[in-house]
Amino acid sequence: MSKIEKALKRAGEERGNLQVVAPAAAGGRTAPWTALVGQEIERPETISRMAENEHKLLSAEELWVRGIIHPQQTKEPAVQVFRELRTKISQQSQGQNAVILVAAVSRGNGASFIARNLAAAFAFDSAKTALLVDCNLRNPSVHELIPDTSLPGLADYFDSPELAVSKIIHPVGIARLRAIATGRLRENPAEYFVSTKMRHLIDSLRERYRERFIILDGPPMSDIADARILSELSDYVLVVARHGRTTNAQIENGLSAISSSKLLGIVFNDEPRIPWLR
Amino acid sequence: MQMYPEQIVKAVINESFHSRWLVVWMFVIVNIVVLTAGLLWPKSYTGSTSIVVDEKSIMEPLMKGAAVATETADRNRNAREVILGRSIMRKVLESAGWLADHPTASEQEGLFEKIKARTTITPVGRDVIKIEYRDSDENRALFVTKAFANLFVQEMITQKESDTRAAFDFIDKQAQEYQQKLTAAEEELRQLRSSNLDARPGSDIELSARLIALNTRIENTTMELREAEMKHASLERQVNGEAEVTVLATREAQFRARIAELQAKLDTLRLTFLDTHPDIVQLKHQIQDLRAEAAAQRERRDSAKPSDRAEGDETVVNNPVYQQLRRELSQSRLTIDTLKARIAEARRLVQEEVNRGKGLHGGEARLVELTRDYQINREIYQDLLHRRERARVSINMDSDRQSSSFKILDPAVVSPSRNTPRFWQFVLGGLMLGVLVPLGFLFTRLQFDPRVRLANAISERHKVQVAAIVPHLWSPVELTGLRKELAILALVVTATLALSATLSVVRFLGLL
Repeated sequence: MSKIEKALKRAGEERGNLQVVAPAAAGGRTAPWTALVGQEIERPETISRMAENEHKLLSAEELWVRGIIHPQQTKEPAVQVFRELRTKISQQSQGQNAVILVAAVSRGNGASFIARNLAAAFAFDSAKTALLVDCNLRNPSVHELIPDTSLPGLADYFDSPELAVSKIIHPVGIARLRAIATGRLRENPAEYFVSTKMRHLIDSLRERYRERFIILDGPPMSDIADARILSELSDYVLVVARHGRTTNAQIENGLSAISSSKLLGIVFNDEPRIPWLR
Repeated sequence: MQMYPEQIVKAVINESFHSRWLVVWMFVIVNIVVLTAGLLWPKSYTGSTSIVVDEKSIMEPLMKGAAVATETADRNRNAREVILGRSIMRKVLESAGWLADHPTASEQEGLFEKIKARTTITPVGRDVIKIEYRDSDENRALFVTKAFANLFVQEMITQKESDTRAAFDFIDKQAQEYQQKLTAAEEELRQLRSSNLDARPGSDIELSARLIALNTRIENTTMELREAEMKHASLERQVNGEAEVTVLATREAQFRARIAELQAKLDTLRLTFLDTHPDIVQLKHQIQDLRAEAAAQRERRDSAKPSDRAEGDETVVNNPVYQQLRRELSQSRLTIDTLKARIAEARRLVQEEVNRGKGLHGGEARLVELTRDYQINREIYQDLLHRRERARVSINMDSDRQSSSFKILDPAVVSPSRNTPRFWQFVLGGLMLGVLVPLGFLFTRLQFDPRVRLANAISERHKVQVAAIVPHLWSPVELTGLRKELAILALVVTATLALSATLSVVRFLGLL
């Protein structure tokens, strides 16, 4: 037992709620960012429990194929960008967890890509967890991450009162990242977000795990009603505009739907860069 | 939107990559269009020839010093006017076969203008002009250029011959005119001479010399006359003062004179002394003696008188001085008369000379005038005779084509036109445009596309912070696809370049 571990154990005994977790339990990695002493100290019990449940994590290659960043892809500019975005949000929320709505200005702007990678970026940090909630009911995409598509999702939660929240949260093969898919959609899913159940869901998700950042993969801003409701439910909003596709008029319309106090900024997606010219 | 150059470059590069297919196809299409234009561009050939032109008017050297020739017009303009003049142009049209279709007058005008537009006449150096003619037909370009050169030289030689002939005619005419003038002047001179014999050069000098001599003579004679008159007056005065005869002194008179003298002396002494003074006494005795002597003398004379003998007065004789003076006076009077006659004669001569001089001056002035005219006419006439002979030689030289100053320096040759673009220029232009057109298009799209292409355009326009600029995340499959894509695009670009190169070589070898 190292000196640090001894010190931690002593501190744990003094506080009573801390425990030392073996490095293998933290996603089986010994990466330097997980070995930070401060993070180990504040690491809550839930994270270690989440780690226990993550039997099979996807490799960097597999994630890359799925269009998701991985901390090992150090040369990839997108990884750096998402890290910086994550840091910005953390600073903005002053260490508290937050509900972040990622909504595209219009369809096809890549809001889902941004949402899932932002969630992955939060999950890089071993002291934080991330929950990706697919709120884009018309064009869902989160279910692609969940191995078993038959598992219940958001729609199932709204439709079956007896379904517990924990039943709709599924691992996606990324350490400290869980996801809620849309589930089996009914004909008219438009009213889900206006229901109090939705507010309760968000509140409970936020309140239950303090280190959990909840990222809502929202519908495009062209669907003003949903976007507005979801922005009210969330703490921060990121608006996604895509290179060569979004017009200034669309951006203007989208920005008018959300409160400027919640607006973190615009994410300019898919900027063309020659991949070999870093 | 304000953009820095490096931002523009970066943005254009990224856009080119993003729209790579568009860029490559634009490159290919622009190249193909430009190459096609290069292939279809009408060929143009330029025939060129140089001609030595010495266009100095024949009048100028011939009339040098005698008359001032008018300035020769601008050489090039002149040459251009001759070459593109109707006579040469018509011959060219005829010989080059343009008139085979019997074009109408207006069509011919159109042809004239077309040929004019394709012909350039430029000066090379001082005496050389270059004729260039452009045509799409190589043979015709050569033919027309040759025709221009030959016809121009021919025309200029003909023109020069006629110039020389005109100059000769002019000089000949002038010479004849001067000959007539000269003859008339000679005749007039002869008449004047015969009518006025004195009228010859130097007469006036002679006349004035004679007048001076006469005047001198008059003056001298007048002086002599004065002298003679003065002498005469003097002689007259002398003659008047001199007695005609002279009286001799007697002894008695001599005694009396002596007595008077002594008496006077005695009176003076008596004033001082008494009568008894010895001197007085002596004087008294002397006086008595003298009186006695005088009385004796008288008696002797009185005693001689009663004889009545005509006895001449022996004391009266003719005065010789008087006689002499009388003679001289007479002589002087004679001299005066002679001199007066001489002066009158001289004055008459002077008057005569003056009268003669009056007539002489008028004649001489006329003579001088006529002589001057005659001399000038003679000089000009002689000069004209020389020039006429030179003009005659010039005509002979022209007829023998010896003096021809119009020669074809460089025979007509034909070469591809300089001004029409070459095929390699099309190739190069195609490549450059192939790059510039897509880049220009992308830059314009960046500026004017309503779709957002630059992150800072968003923040600038909407006053919203850009939280992140996320580059495209290339998945392994996408990267593989991109590599293939780039390979294909490189192949397309290479094929285009190869096509350009191949066409250039083919064109260079003259196969196309």
